[in-house]
Amino acid sequence: MSKEEILRELSEVVSGCRPDDAAGIARKALDAGIDPVEAINDGLVVGMGIIGDNYADKKIYLPQVLVAAHAMYEGLDVLLPAIPKGDLADAKKACTAVVMGDVHDIGKNLVKTMLTASGYIVNDLGKDVPPQVIADTTKADGASVLCLSTLMTPTMDNMAKAVELVRDSGYRDNVLITIGGPPTTEAFAEEIGADHRDDNSTAAVKFIDSRIKG
Amino acid sequence: MTMSCRERVLGALKRESMDRPPAAIFTTCDTIGMMKACGSSWPEAHSDPQKMATLGCAQADYFGLEAVRAGFCLTQEAEALGCPIDMGTATGSPMLKGHPFSYNPMKKTYQLPEEANLPDIDTFLNTGRVKVTQEAMAIMKKTHGEDYCVIGGNTGPFTLAGHLLNTENLVYSVFTDPEMAKKWVGAIEPYCKAYGEALLAAGADVVQMSEPSASTDILAPEDFTAHSGQFVKRCLGDLKGMKVLHICGDSEKIIPYMFDTGVTGISVEEKVDPYLAIKVANNRGAMIGNVGCSFPLFKGTPQDVADAARKSADAGFNSISAGCGVPIGTPDDNIRALVKAVKDLA
Repeated sequence: MSKEEILRELSEVVSGCRPDDAAGIARKALDAGIDPVEAINDGLVVGMGIIGDNYADKKIYLPQVLVAAHAMYEGLDVLLPAIPKGDLADAKKACTAVVMGDVHDIGKNLVKTMLTASGYIVNDLGKDVPPQVIADTTKADGASVLCLSTLMTPTMDNMAKAVELVRDSGYRDNVLITIGGPPTTEAFAEEIGADHRDDNSTAAVKFIDSRIKG
Repeated sequence: MTMSCRERVLGALKRESMDRPPAAIFTTCDTIGMMKACGSSWPEAHSDPQKMATLGCAQADYFGLEAVRAGFCLTQEAEALGCPIDMGTATGSPMLKGHPFSYNPMKKTYQLPEEANLPDIDTFLNTGRVKVTQEAMAIMKKTHGEDYCVIGGNTGPFTLAGHLLNTENLVYSVFTDPEMAKKWVGAIEPYCKAYGEALLAAGADVVQMSEPSASTDILAPEDFTAHSGQFVKRCLGDLKGMKVLHICGDSEKIIPYMFDTGVTGISVEEKVDPYLAIKVANNRGAMIGNVGCSFPLFKGTPQDVADAARKSADAGFNSISAGCGVPIGTPDDNIRALVKAVKDLA
């Protein structure tokens, strides 16, 4: 099987929502001598990109996205450990969190998946995360990106607080902050000093890439 | 003779011709302003029947809205079925802190409903806030039932099953193991039905069920009926009484399926344009909504709210309401602007 065929298989195992096959194909890529970074970027990520675009266009819905993401992570579990540590030194770091007072994390998890697919090393802080923890971790990680999410209106204040604490920490100029979740608006992002607001994970990560990767 | 608020809301649900629609919120409406006005606040108002009733009536008593409603969040049934809950604060709603049953479609390991030791229906109805809300209905019926419609809120079966199992895992299984997903939602359906019946028996005129996890942000429209709608039909549509189904998000593509459940009316968000919503609804039942919650109610000006309320009315909505649960930080003036804009239509 040629390199191109294996890369296409890696893409299709994700876009075709086949998590059970993903690890095996990823091992096949390594056995064939394909560079693991190439296998990720030209294989798994291509598949996840197709899924993200189709989800944004409402051609597919959340169940397929979750299964495709599982397939991507199954492949990454094989390929990431095969990357020499030095090769990851330039990878950008991102933090994701659902702010304190809210436990709805599906949207945040989608952003985490699309960030991972775009090559970021993601520290997912989880849900119901205090603003101080968000600010402290963002700075300690040296993150280039911070993505905050909430589904509830009462917790929007904690989103504002997290951004304020990042500013107070002196780290604000080092990090791109995006927010999301149904109650958020572009006007709210501007009001609290975030850089961007989006209503779908694919578009959010495209914006982040445009600002971080140029 | 002047029409009472109760007559106006019942007339709206029956789609009778009136001089104006009511300004009546069918989804949750218990703002900080209402808590201050009536002296009953979160978190106590979630668990004390009198405080729940007082806060549930504050929207009418202090703000001129034309219905009363209780049940303030979608965690009460989950708690009664075994979910650990953080009851929140004066400004933070209760949160699920875990899921009592094991459901892992990625590993294909499932606890089956019959193995879950779910409580019997009577026990469920007499547990925690499920019981409290029934008691609040009875109080509200006694104090306000002559003049106002009493609305009891409950949770839809797909959403409630997600609370018990982990919504993300349930949604995942819709693709990989749809029969298992339906088996669990089917096992939850009798609790939803019994709770709706109990709310009506306790004094509610209307049961308003929220099924946010079946929104088109999550399920494909073509999957709605198989995974939510068929169960909603049995546990809400078949109830003997008025019933309203609320689903968040852009519901344009599922409006016909929402009416297929046999409900009296549906409640939709501003994410579907009001004129389009009315067109798609095709006179199949009452339309409730759809003034935006985040904007304009929470973050807009009174003028923005009034404009949105008039737009929903002009489009033909039968009851002018928030498109989803009213944010608790909604300014008092914005609530009053909604009420005034609607009442000025007469």
